[in-house]
Amino acid sequence: MSNDNTFTNPLKETSLSRRSFLKWSSVLGGTAAVAGGIGIGLDAFEDAVQAQASDGQWVAAACWGNCGGRCLNKAFVVDGIVTRQKTDDTHPDSPDFPQQRGCSRGRSQRQRVFGADRLKYPMKRAHWEPGGGDKSLRGKDEWVRISWDEAIDIVTSEYKRITEKYGANSVLWGTNALAAAGGYTNTWGSTSSGTWAYTAPRVIGDYANAGNDRFELRKSKLVVMWSTDPITSSGGNPAYNYLQAKKAGAKFIFIDPYYNPSAQVLADEWIPIRPGTDTPMLLAIGYVLITEDDPATNPLIDWDFMSRCTLGFDKTNLPEGADPEDNYRDYVLGLDESGNLAPEGHKNYPAKTPQWASEICGVPPQKIRSFALEIAQTKPVALMESDASARVNNAQSIGQAFVAIGAMIGSIGVSGGGIGRTRHSTAGNVGPNLIKFGRNGAILESAENPVKDRINNNEIWDAVLTGKYTAGVGEKTDINIQFVYHTKGSRLQTTVGQAQGIKAMREVEFALCQDFHLTTGARYSDVVLPVTTQWERDGYLVIPNRETAFWASNVIAPLFEAKDDEWIDWQIGLKLGVYDSATPELPLKQRIFNQVAGATVLMEDGVTTEPLVSITEEDLAALGVTGTPQTGRIPIMEFKANGSYQVPRYEGDNFTYIALKSFREDPVANPLPTESGLVELHSAKLAADITALGWTTIRPIPEYLPPERGYEATFSDWSSKTKGEFPLQMYNKHYWRRSHSEFDNVLQLREAFPQEFVMNPIDAQARGIKTGDIVKITSSEASAIRPVVVTERIMPGVTFLPHGAWTEFDEALGVDKAGSDNFLEAGVPTVEGHSGYNSQIVQVEKWDGPELTPDARWPQRIISI
Amino acid sequence: MTKQLGFYANTSACTGCKACQIACKDKNNLPVGLLWRRVYHYSGGGWIQDPDNKDLMIPNRVFSYSISASCMHCQDAECVKVCPTGAMMKDENGIISIDADRCIGCRYCEWACPYSAPQFNEAAGVMTKCDMCKDLVTQGQNPACVDACPMRAIEFGDLEELQAKYGTVNAIEPMPSGEHTKPALVITPHKDAERVGAGTGHILNLAEEI
Repeated sequence: MSNDNTFTNPLKETSLSRRSFLKWSSVLGGTAAVAGGIGIGLDAFEDAVQAQASDGQWVAAACWGNCGGRCLNKAFVVDGIVTRQKTDDTHPDSPDFPQQRGCSRGRSQRQRVFGADRLKYPMKRAHWEPGGGDKSLRGKDEWVRISWDEAIDIVTSEYKRITEKYGANSVLWGTNALAAAGGYTNTWGSTSSGTWAYTAPRVIGDYANAGNDRFELRKSKLVVMWSTDPITSSGGNPAYNYLQAKKAGAKFIFIDPYYNPSAQVLADEWIPIRPGTDTPMLLAIGYVLITEDDPATNPLIDWDFMSRCTLGFDKTNLPEGADPEDNYRDYVLGLDESGNLAPEGHKNYPAKTPQWASEICGVPPQKIRSFALEIAQTKPVALMESDASARVNNAQSIGQAFVAIGAMIGSIGVSGGGIGRTRHSTAGNVGPNLIKFGRNGAILESAENPVKDRINNNEIWDAVLTGKYTAGVGEKTDINIQFVYHTKGSRLQTTVGQAQGIKAMREVEFALCQDFHLTTGARYSDVVLPVTTQWERDGYLVIPNRETAFWASNVIAPLFEAKDDEWIDWQIGLKLGVYDSATPELPLKQRIFNQVAGATVLMEDGVTTEPLVSITEEDLAALGVTGTPQTGRIPIMEFKANGSYQVPRYEGDNFTYIALKSFREDPVANPLPTESGLVELHSAKLAADITALGWTTIRPIPEYLPPERGYEATFSDWSSKTKGEFPLQMYNKHYWRRSHSEFDNVLQLREAFPQEFVMNPIDAQARGIKTGDIVKITSSEASAIRPVVVTERIMPGVTFLPHGAWTEFDEALGVDKAGSDNFLEAGVPTVEGHSGYNSQIVQVEKWDGPELTPDARWPQRIISI
Repeated sequence: MTKQLGFYANTSACTGCKACQIACKDKNNLPVGLLWRRVYHYSGGGWIQDPDNKDLMIPNRVFSYSISASCMHCQDAECVKVCPTGAMMKDENGIISIDADRCIGCRYCEWACPYSAPQFNEAAGVMTKCDMCKDLVTQGQNPACVDACPMRAIEFGDLEELQAKYGTVNAIEPMPSGEHTKPALVITPHKDAERVGAGTGHILNLAEEI
C-alpha cells in the first residue's frame, strides 16, 4: 500500500476503535459464512445482534441509488457492524411536512453492504496475461487474489502498452488519471431521457423544471399520468405527494400498457396503449381539438397562448425560409399547402384522425376523442409523463407532440397545471431547490480528455466487433478498442445489445472493472478492483428533492481491502506520472464540510437566503476540519446527527412553483431558451441537429415515424395484420427489486420480487401458459427464461420484462436464466442516438427444459480467494 | 375490559411496494423463507371486444389491489388453542408471541392459522412469527412496518380505537373471513375490493414470494 495515499486511509481516519477494527477484519478474513441465510458475510454478525441496544448508535447512512427517492436511512452501528436500519424519524410526519421514508431497496442497503458476495481483494483472472491470455474464458474463469500494488501495476502497464501500440482511442471509458495520461474514447447518448434530451431544449427549454410543485398539484382538477409509474420508479415520497392531490379531489387518468402500481392506488381511469405508439395518439388528440374547437360555442384551444407563445402551429406562424407544409396544423389535419386534403404519398398524408391513430395505438377512436375533449374542457390539467414513452426507437416526435397538447389545452404556466416530466427526484414535486450546498473547495482541476472519438451507446459493441462507428451523415470512422474500463454505471449491464457486448468483451486485450460485487462488468473483466460503498466513506451529500438536504456520515470502516474510486484513480495517476504527490487533493471529509458550511437555505419569505448551519470552534475540532465559525439556521452537529434538514412547508407558503408562469405572462420579456424564445412546434434546429447525427432525417414538426421493433414490426404484413416471427411487444419496466441494476444480488429483495415476466391471459392461453410456469422469451438477439405472471393488468399483445437483472447466461441451455432486459435488446441507433429500451418484439413459449430455481435460492456470487 | 392492540391496513393506499415486509425482515434478521409480514397482490377483470371496433380489445373492469398482512394477533386465536406446549402465548396487550424455549416445532399452529402467520425456522427447529415488535412497542415506539410505509397505509394501536376511527371491516377477498379467529385488524377496503368468498380475481404472487 503506497504511503503517498492522500485520500482515504481507513486506519488513520476511522473513528472506530482499533480493537473493533481488528476483531472485525479477522472475522472477515476467511471464507465468509452466510449468517443465518440472510446472505451477510460476517461470523461476528450474530454476536453484534445479541449486543445490548444501548451499546450501539444510530448513524445517518447514505442511500445512493440512482432512483427518484434517495431517502433517509439510519444505520444502527454496534461494534463496527450495522445490525438494523430505520428510516426518517427526524420530525413528526404529516402530508405537508412528510418524513423522507425509504423504499424496499434503500431498506436493504445493510444486506447489500455486508453481503457475503462483497468483492474483498483486488483479483485477476487466472488465465489472463498481457495481450488477453485465453480471452474465451472471460466470464467463467477462476480468480486469483493480487495485491493493490500488483493491480495498479497491471492497469498502468497495460494502459501504456496498449495506447503505445494502438493509440489512446483504443481505450473505452476511463477516469481522470487516464484523461491526463493520454485520454480514452468515451460514449454518448440519452439513456434515461429518451428523445427528450435533444427535443426538450429546442422545443420548450428547461424541461426538468416544467412541472408542478407538490402543493400546486393539489389544485389540479385532472392529473394525466402518461407512461409513468412513480410509485415503482421513484420510491419514497413522490407517490405520497400524488396521493394528496387525489385526496384534494383531482381525477387521475393513466395512459400506459400496464395497470401499474401507481394506477392501482391513484387511477380513476386507465387507458391502455401499446408501447411506442404514443405519438399517433397525441397527434389524434390534436386533430380532435383543432377540428372541434369553436371559440364561441366549444372553446377547446388556448388560442391566446398559442398565438403569443408558440411557433409553428400553422403556416402563418413559421420562421423565415421554412417549407410552408412543415406546420403542425396541416400535418395533423393531413392538408397540403393549398389547404386541401393531401393525397397519398404527400408528406402530410393522412389526416391524423382518431381512426388512424387507433389502428396503431390500440385505443378505441371514441376514447381518444372523449379523452381529448376531457383534457381540453377541464381546468386546470396537469399533463405528466416520465420519459418511458420516449425511450423508443425513432420516437423523436413524442416530445413535440406532447408539448403541443399541453400548450393547446392551456396547461403551460398555470396554477394547478403544468406539463412535464414526473421522474426521478422531481417526481410530483418540481421547482428550484430551497437548499443549496456550497462549493467543495477542490484543489485539483479535472483533466481534459484529448481523445475526441465518441461512440453512440447503440453502437458500442458493434464498434468493438467491427472496428467502425457512425460519426455523422454517411460517415463511418475507424476505431480499434482493446482496453475496456468499467468505471461505474454498470455499462455492460445497462447498455442495449448486451449479447453482442459479451462477445465484444471476449475480443479485447484487457478489461478492468471496479465494483462492490461481481456484477456483469466485473464478471467479464480480467482485473477486478473492490470498491467501498458510501457507507464506508467519509460522508455523502445529496439533494433528494427540492425541500431537503441529506448529509450521510461514515458508518463503518472499509470492508476487507476495498478502496474508494478516488484513491484508485490517484494511484493510477501517480504510477502513470500525471499526478504530483506533492499536490494532494483535500480529504473528502474537508470537501464535504466545505459544502455544508457554504450551504444556504431559503427563508420563509421565499426570497432571502441564510446559511444553513452554525459552526463553532468546538465543532471544527470535533469534525477534524479547518474552517471559520459562522451563524446559520441550525447547529452543524444537529444536521450531522439527523442526517437531514428539511424545510418545513405548509399550504400557502412562499415556496410554491408554477413553471413557465412568467413566460406565459410575457414571452418577450421572459423568452424560453429555444431558438425563437417560444415553444417550438416547428423547430428547424431540432431537425438539423438530428439529421446531422447520421441515422435519421426528420422534419421540424412532430412527424410520426414507426419505431424499429415497435408495434408495426410485429407484423409480417400490416394491411392483413398477419403476425410475423416476433408477434408480441416487450418493454422493460422499472422494478422494485432494483434501482436500475443495483440491488439485484440482495437475497431479501430477490425473494420479495421474483423478476417475473408479465403477459396477458389471451396471449398466455394461446400458448398453454399459466402463472408460475417457466417461459422462454426469444428476440432477434437471444433467449431468456423466466417465471411468468399472467394478468389482465397488461394489454393483449404486450409483455414486460423488468429492467436491470444481471445476466446469467447458461451456455448448455443457450438461454439467459436471469432475464436481463439488455440481453434481449439490440442496439438500434435512430434519430438522436438515444437508447430505445422500450421497443422490442419477442416470441414467447412454454419452457420445456430443466426446472428454474427461484432467484432468491440461487447461490450468491461469492469469490473464495 | 382486556386490552387488544391491533393493526390497521389501508388497502386503498397500498401500492404493494413491500417496504413493510423488508423493514420487518431487516429488523428481525429474517433469512430467505421467513416472512413475518407478507404482501399479497390480487387482480381480476378481463378483456373484451370493443363493441364499436371489432378489431380492438378493451379492458373490462380490470382491477388490482394489494394487502399487507402480518400476524393478526387474533382475539380468538387458533394457534394458541392448538399449541401443545403453551409456547404460543397471548399477553396482556393482546400480542401473541412464541416462547422459543417451549416450542417443539410440531407446526400445529402453522396448520391452524388461516393467515400463514406462524413460520417454521428450519435451521432452529422452532416456529417464528410477527410479535408486533414487542420490544419497540413496550418502549413506546411503533412496529417497524408502521414507520416504514411510504404511503402511511399501516397503523397500529388499540383495536377499539382503530375500529372507532376506521370501521370494523377486517377481511376482503382473498383473505379468510374474520369470523373464524376474530383478527385484531381493521381494513379500509380498496375501491375495487371484493367481498370475502365472492371473489372473481386471482392472486398474482408467485409461490416463492409469499
